[in-house]
Amino acid sequence: MQRFRSTLVAILAGTLAVATVAHAGPRQESPAVAKQVDASLAAELFASQTEVAPQCDDATFLRRVWLDVVGDIPAPEHVIAFSLDPSPDKRERLVRELLADPQYGVNWARYWRDVIFYRRIEDRALIASNALEADLSQQLNENVPWDKIAAGFITATGDVRDNGSTAIIMAQEGRTEETTAEVARIFLGVQIQCAQCHDHPYDRWKRGQFHELAAFFPRIGVRPVRTPTSRSFQVVASDRQLRIAKNDDGNRPTPEHFMPDLEDPSAKGTQMQPKFFLTSAKLDVGTPDAKRREMLSKYLTRNEWFAVAAVNRMWSELVGAGFYEPVDDVGPDRTARAPKTMEILSQGFRDSDYDVKWLIETIAATDAYQRQSRPRETEADHIPFAANVPQPLRADQLYNALLSALDLPETTPNRPGRGGAGGGFRQQQRDPRTQFNLTFGFDPSEPRETISGSIPQSLAMMNSAQVAGGLRANRGVLSGLLEEINDNDEMFTELYLRTLSRQPTEDELARAGAYLDEVGNRKQAIEDLAWVLVNSAEFRHRR
Amino acid sequence: MFAPLQHHTHVSLRGSRVVRRRDFLKASAAGGLAASALSWTDVLAARADELRDRGMACILLWMSGGPSQFETFSPKPGHANGGETKAIDTSVAGIQIADNLPHMAKVANELAIIRSMTSKEGNHQRATYLLHHGYLPMASVKHPTLGANVADQIGNAASELPSFVQIGGRLPNSGGGGFLGVDYDPLIIQSATKPPQNTTPSAEANRFARRMRLLESMQGDFAAMGGAQVVADQQKVAKRATDMIHSPKMEVFDIEREPAAVREAYGSGEFAAGCLMARRLVEQGVTFVEVHSRGWDTHQDNFNSVRNLCGNVDQPGARLIADLKERGMLDRTLVIWMGEFGRTPQINPRGGRDHFPKAFNVALAGGGVRGGQVIGATSDSGTEVTDRPVTIPDLFRSVYHTLGIDPEYENMSGGGRPIKIVDGGEVVEELFS
Repeated sequence: MQRFRSTLVAILAGTLAVATVAHAGPRQESPAVAKQVDASLAAELFASQTEVAPQCDDATFLRRVWLDVVGDIPAPEHVIAFSLDPSPDKRERLVRELLADPQYGVNWARYWRDVIFYRRIEDRALIASNALEADLSQQLNENVPWDKIAAGFITATGDVRDNGSTAIIMAQEGRTEETTAEVARIFLGVQIQCAQCHDHPYDRWKRGQFHELAAFFPRIGVRPVRTPTSRSFQVVASDRQLRIAKNDDGNRPTPEHFMPDLEDPSAKGTQMQPKFFLTSAKLDVGTPDAKRREMLSKYLTRNEWFAVAAVNRMWSELVGAGFYEPVDDVGPDRTARAPKTMEILSQGFRDSDYDVKWLIETIAATDAYQRQSRPRETEADHIPFAANVPQPLRADQLYNALLSALDLPETTPNRPGRGGAGGGFRQQQRDPRTQFNLTFGFDPSEPRETISGSIPQSLAMMNSAQVAGGLRANRGVLSGLLEEINDNDEMFTELYLRTLSRQPTEDELARAGAYLDEVGNRKQAIEDLAWVLVNSAEFRHRR
Repeated sequence: MFAPLQHHTHVSLRGSRVVRRRDFLKASAAGGLAASALSWTDVLAARADELRDRGMACILLWMSGGPSQFETFSPKPGHANGGETKAIDTSVAGIQIADNLPHMAKVANELAIIRSMTSKEGNHQRATYLLHHGYLPMASVKHPTLGANVADQIGNAASELPSFVQIGGRLPNSGGGGFLGVDYDPLIIQSATKPPQNTTPSAEANRFARRMRLLESMQGDFAAMGGAQVVADQQKVAKRATDMIHSPKMEVFDIEREPAAVREAYGSGEFAAGCLMARRLVEQGVTFVEVHSRGWDTHQDNFNSVRNLCGNVDQPGARLIADLKERGMLDRTLVIWMGEFGRTPQINPRGGRDHFPKAFNVALAGGGVRGGQVIGATSDSGTEVTDRPVTIPDLFRSVYHTLGIDPEYENMSGGGRPIKIVDGGEVVEELFS
């Protein structure tokens, strides 16, 4: 009875804590919120309208929104059709159409795959990446609300090649403290892991609070699964005291979490009660794993910072700079640039019941998103959000752009990579897209200005069999075009539309013409021009 | 033992910009420049700049999977745990190694064999990370790997060739530039018998140059529309890449250019080709080269497997050391032979040995390391380190010291957190004495 009562109290306390945080109002319409966002930005940041960049043209908008939403570039037909379309709502309509395309889910699933796996502890965690990509693509396409998706990651168990939601736990090898840190970073944008070893130097979090949060995750672990036909891993949870003691690895389930004694690392440490640091909602020691993780997912997804973290990331990806930077460092001790604007969007996202498509549609409808790009400013005194920013393409976006520009088919050996034979780790690593990602990939949580090009990247674009081979005049896309198009300006225009999704300027046409005269060999000159376009900085960015 | 210490002190005090550490200054002032007043670490710190100017280099021969110490540099023929492996004499009286390494035995006078390596990490992935970084993996800090730190600290940024090259394909958990950035990632060579990936220009030289000129002239529109910095950066990298592939130094990747006699002396196989390429690279100013040998995870049929594996690496590794010596390069080139851990003294029912990080061995040569010595010892059964345990931070600290790099140097991680090149540990002084 005593035990029952204390559990009940804990549940009541939990429910109260859940109830006290930001509540959702009625759903707001995207265009209305977009207008509010722009008005609020103007009030908060811009002294006069002259400071802000003008709206970008249709071709720029089209390529930008294709890359941002579906991770690919439009075909020449799309560019022409969109430019000629006279309807005033064509931009909003385009965004909605792209959000309905299955490639939307794939594009953003790959983004989150990179967010999660660039922080992996060991490379073997990559065995879970195909399942994550497949499952999360589907969830995003079905527009499963972000809080449901987050809860899925937090409460996951099972074979990592069957259940993509195990990805965060697998990437952290089922380790209690590491999983805790990643869950807080990804879903709340709070960097509480610094408090793992000492009280946080710049934040209010105490070391005990980190370990109280970790106390939601002691009963999870990762163990290898070996059958004659497959090698995989399983995220497991156990409420029983396992006979094997938890070793240094820290990735076997244990009943409770202990905060290590800094004076005496060999001591058992202090047993911690599961307690959510932002609201002090807590559970009893002894609470089963399923309940712990379920309650944590509730505390976390109903907290105000849950929406802020998602809004900040999405805004940063689309507009080129975050309200908070780096994107995964938000929270009560940070100051947002344009805090009121950030709150308008965050409240809208809460009111939409965490509808990710709503969020993208709303941001894409803002003037802030639709402005021309200006260089990424690094000086502290510059005015943020007065222009969009040229963003380097993520590896998957660039790979898709290459395939589209050169009409290359995607070879897909064992892409789904689910259990069973085939699609094993090594095979997965040989997949051309994976190989490309090894050369061009970067951690999307890192500040984008720190992402620099590398020599192997340049070499791959200039000389690889895939790119150079796709640019031969005697086969593939160029052979067809050379046969169909006799007029040189028309040919140049076609190449620009294919690669940069825009028409060449007068100056560019003149330069291309002069180059053709200099070379004196049409086929060679066209090959060279196509090579140059694919190797241009513009191709590797979205402007 | 005293002579080399004096020598270093002499050199370091003559140099004009040798002093980097405040405690060295203090020691000098207090001790009135007397060599005896300087502690060992002061001398090493003072050597740093001098060594940097000498073009120090490092070649890591990596035995992936965890090489058996009993079948390589720490045979135990007198004990059941030693199995069928015999010990043979070497060029140094009193030092015996396993009969699988007859060529290494001949260069033992250059080798410092550490038989008392000890660690707790018996998992391949984590141990591979540990023995490449000196740190265990963490989610929040992406440490630069050994080769990246060396390239950053003493690499030649002006060279057309990269400072850090890995031969034998990508090795999971061996790391890269980490928070130092992609500039410090290794150039990965799949096979030393083929040119590196994408380095064959996609057009002949004149046409390639013409394309590059066209590229430069066609980026104006994007530059004017907010992309100026991005375009400038991209042009810079493209130029470096282009310079590299058109450099006469690219010949360095073609081992066929070596005389037949030289190639034959290294023996045959991928690893032999890798060792030869490593020598060619270091000769051309590359700072860090890693050559991979795979398959050392001998859970079964250990004795035959390790004999074959040694057959792949013994002659090439020994020849590499001798070749560097003959060319006068060994003094400034540290060669490291190691894997992620050792193997169990107990022979399992399948004739294999399992993972054993508690007591294993590493061999070093060159770079100022005194050869012809064995450091540390294990019990007759091989189960315990009985003398002079050497931890992973000890080893890393020693390697960086040898290369003239201050292990206390703090890099800033992405999160603005200072991270030392090595955390803890002490230099293994016997290596240099």
